[in-house]
Amino acid sequence: MNLRQKLLLLFSLTVAAAVAAVSWTVLVRIRQVFEQRDQQETALFVSQFQREFQHRSTEVAAAVDHIAASERVRAVAFQLVQTGDAAPYLTEAQTLAQDGQLDFLEIVGPDGKIVSSAQWPARFGYFEPVAWVDQPTFLKTEDLPDGSSALGLFAIRAVGRSESTSQPVHIIGGKRLDKSFLADLPAAPGMQIALYKDLNQSPSTEQPHLGPDFAVFDPKRLISSTGELPYASHYQSLISSAINSGQQTNAILYLTDHREDSVNATAIPLKSDKGDILAVLTVSISRSGMVQAQQHIRAIAYGVAAGGILFAIACSLWIAAKVSGPIEQLARAAEQVAAGNWETHVPERSRDEVGQLARSFNHMTAELVSQRERLVQTERVAAWRELARRLAHELKNPLFPLQLTVENLIRARALDPDEFDEVFRESTQTLGMEIANLKTIIGRFSDFSKMPKPQIERMDVKDALLRVMMLYFPGLTRTPTTLEDKETDEAIVESKVDCSFEFSLDEMWIDADPELLHRALSNLVLNAIDAMPDGGKLILCAKPLAAHIEIRVSDTGAGLTPEECERLFTPYYTTKQHGTGLGLAIVQSVISDHNGSITVESHPNQGATFIITLPKSTS
Amino acid sequence: MLRQAAISCLIAVLALPAVARTRPHYGGTLRVEVEGDGSKSSNGLIWRLEMDGLTQFGVDGTPRPALAIRWASENNDHRWQFWLRPAVQFRNGWPLTSAAVVASLTQSCPTNCPWTALHAVGASVVITSDSPMPNLPSLLAENQFLIHLMDAGDGKEPPCCVGTGPFQLAQGLPLNLVANENYWGGRPFVDKVEILTNKSVRDQWLDLSVGRADLVEVPAEQLRQAQQQHLTVVASPPVTLLALAVSDSSVLSNPNLRTAIALAVDRNALSNVIFQKQGEVTASMLPGALTGYSFLFPTDRDLNKAHEVRGGLNTPPLTLAADNNPTMQLAAQRLALNLHEAGFTVQVTNAATAQHKDLALLQLTLASSQPQPALESILRSVGVATPVIENTPAGIYKMEREFLDTHTLIPLLYLPRAYAISGRVRDLRLSPDGTPLLADVSLQDAQ
Repeated sequence: MNLRQKLLLLFSLTVAAAVAAVSWTVLVRIRQVFEQRDQQETALFVSQFQREFQHRSTEVAAAVDHIAASERVRAVAFQLVQTGDAAPYLTEAQTLAQDGQLDFLEIVGPDGKIVSSAQWPARFGYFEPVAWVDQPTFLKTEDLPDGSSALGLFAIRAVGRSESTSQPVHIIGGKRLDKSFLADLPAAPGMQIALYKDLNQSPSTEQPHLGPDFAVFDPKRLISSTGELPYASHYQSLISSAINSGQQTNAILYLTDHREDSVNATAIPLKSDKGDILAVLTVSISRSGMVQAQQHIRAIAYGVAAGGILFAIACSLWIAAKVSGPIEQLARAAEQVAAGNWETHVPERSRDEVGQLARSFNHMTAELVSQRERLVQTERVAAWRELARRLAHELKNPLFPLQLTVENLIRARALDPDEFDEVFRESTQTLGMEIANLKTIIGRFSDFSKMPKPQIERMDVKDALLRVMMLYFPGLTRTPTTLEDKETDEAIVESKVDCSFEFSLDEMWIDADPELLHRALSNLVLNAIDAMPDGGKLILCAKPLAAHIEIRVSDTGAGLTPEECERLFTPYYTTKQHGTGLGLAIVQSVISDHNGSITVESHPNQGATFIITLPKSTS
Repeated sequence: MLRQAAISCLIAVLALPAVARTRPHYGGTLRVEVEGDGSKSSNGLIWRLEMDGLTQFGVDGTPRPALAIRWASENNDHRWQFWLRPAVQFRNGWPLTSAAVVASLTQSCPTNCPWTALHAVGASVVITSDSPMPNLPSLLAENQFLIHLMDAGDGKEPPCCVGTGPFQLAQGLPLNLVANENYWGGRPFVDKVEILTNKSVRDQWLDLSVGRADLVEVPAEQLRQAQQQHLTVVASPPVTLLALAVSDSSVLSNPNLRTAIALAVDRNALSNVIFQKQGEVTASMLPGALTGYSFLFPTDRDLNKAHEVRGGLNTPPLTLAADNNPTMQLAAQRLALNLHEAGFTVQVTNAATAQHKDLALLQLTLASSQPQPALESILRSVGVATPVIENTPAGIYKMEREFLDTHTLIPLLYLPRAYAISGRVRDLRLSPDGTPLLADVSLQDAQ
């Protein structure tokens, strides 16, 4: 991971963590505020609802009052008291109930017996078991002819109470607490009102050991204004809690897996005049609005956070680029310097540490360049000195015998002619050999000094290697055409060098001078053979790389020390007893002219491998 | 002299309406409104106008000649022969023949007939039975055995019954019955009887009060109210028996249960409140006025004894079927409440739709004012085809007692049948079973 990526990651993580922390805090707080507000709203709605419910009770009481105060009822009451004959008023309650829009109405005579009943006409003559309560309204479960019972909100009024009557006629009227009643109750948007009734009916059939008094929660008994309440079973715990405690209870109910289907539910136990819980009224207020608002805010928060993080990443990218750019430039410049381009210069754009570093870098490269120039000059001088020394040494060798021979000749002039002729013959022979030697030395020096420019052409490396192999590998089919070739073959055979080659089957095209390349390769092969006087292995390898062709010449000779490796390509440096020391220098010069490079890998007694790298042909 | 002449004239003028009132006139349309479907035999109003029986009830309740001019029995009432009235035609012009009578009687009584065989012999019909039929003439006067012919129609109209009665049914709504000009008993006074069916009692009374109806029904429980409203009411003696039929199979096969049911019913509440004291509490099948011994059947409720008789026997919920009119349903609800106190669970249902009936609240009509045929008729109504041979009060009592002791029929009340009429209607009489005899009715304003 580079510096820019590290900086980017660091900045991004920092910003993301900060944004996440802020967002989480904000969201939690928003949720708390919403919940609080939701509960306050719920409490407000519930109290409003309770007032409405109370208002309905008042309406029932008012309706019964109106009926009780009507002339018709007063006349009936009067007649009942006077005559005791209730028969004519059998259907009176039904008519009164219809007129008063009540679901229940009973006329109870002075003797406490039902005179007329709207909800159960056949019950005339039976005692009305309602306790004479002093409440304006009360809840009661009323039995019906079909065997069922209905919960109702009742009011009771006396009619025609006077001093002469010990017990007056009573009117007991009420409205049924059913879905119609619930539908009439004003419900705020999102509010659902339901009634759970018949608490004491149908003892548990699944758990008969619990006895008849234990009533299992039956979702079908929870009705709303539209019939059975959906997801009624979710209300079980709330309703049971209200029944057990006898107090208003509220809770948040999750009706489905979706949070927006949750409701804030309040269970209000409805009690009779004796305090028995007859039913439980549930008021549920949908939390979908609140949840949706929360989700909306959350979505915005996420969006803003995501946007912020993206913006932060973009800024981080820019910052990282701004910070790491100069450093990367410095790094690239350092690489270029390492690659040899010492004249690399980095721009100095700031005055901070990075700018200081750039200035220092530029100063360093300038120093390196000047030092290199000085070094080159020094090396050049050293090379000239070495060349002069070597030349002087090389020339001195043949010149000394020349001098001796000439002195010998001068001395031999004093000898008789036959001895002078012999001495003259020997001396002229020696002179000729040494002069030839001098010519050779001067010729090699001349060759080294004037290396020809390469004649570049597209060629396959395998061709160059095959040509070298044909020349130096024994057993390859070729007919030696020169004495030198023959001697070379004999030398190779005598040296018992095991030659092998490893070529890639791929084409390895390069742009090179075939002759110069052959010369360089020949030189390396000869050096390898010379390095294995007692035999060994000589291996020629060639393989394509990404953009270059690599040629390896390996031997298993004595190997080279690191110091020898460093000086190997210096002109006139040689490890041989014989030789000019120009061979590898020439090889290096040839390779260099072909824009390639040559290195050596070697350790003492581990042979040596010369590695030539040449660029692939671009044509 | 002058004064005497003036007084005479005055008296004559005052007497004129009286003279005019007592003399019926032909013509006019009698408008009748009924609550039910008047074509059903149980009501019989329209049937009585369209058809005749071999016999008919006289004012004393005894059978009188109708389509049969005379009859005779032989072999201890095992064989009866009825001679037909000559020159009588059905509405479609076909003559009344003994074969037609046999076909009509056969169709009217597919099963459980009082006779074994019917024969057309010349201008007479011979009816034979394996058991004595002492009350056959009275029986043949009932609505069930009115003589009719099934007219297949001309394809444009559905098949219908064709009778020989004083009126002929014209198609369409409301039901229009046109006077039969060639009626053997003499043309009716009114030209047409217009019957509106399925009218509520309240609407009937409203129409009566505004002059849109001439004859409307007055249910027994509303008699007092009708009188309070000063309607002109014509009421019969108690001729309708309100009774509770108890099935003796399956759940109630145990006679103790039926006895408990009989002891649990509260007749007084039904009579005093539901039927507004217009009913006559009874535990006997025949009214006291007919027999004189109905007091021998106790009518009081004994809930304790009901519990005692019932013991610890448990029964599944029972169904009590009653007609779908409010009064019958209310009576059924009351009976259900009574039985609930005795430990029975009863569910009240509509008789028309109930598939299973453990109990049924019935209204049985007293067809005759003679004890013997009346008892036989009631027994036949509840599916007991036993002829009542006894003609002494003791014998009839014994027979009634034996039957009632099975507690498959629990008599509750006797109720009258009543009608309210407009000022136009004159000479309305009711038959012994309470059916209005409209053939004898004339209208005040007919010319």
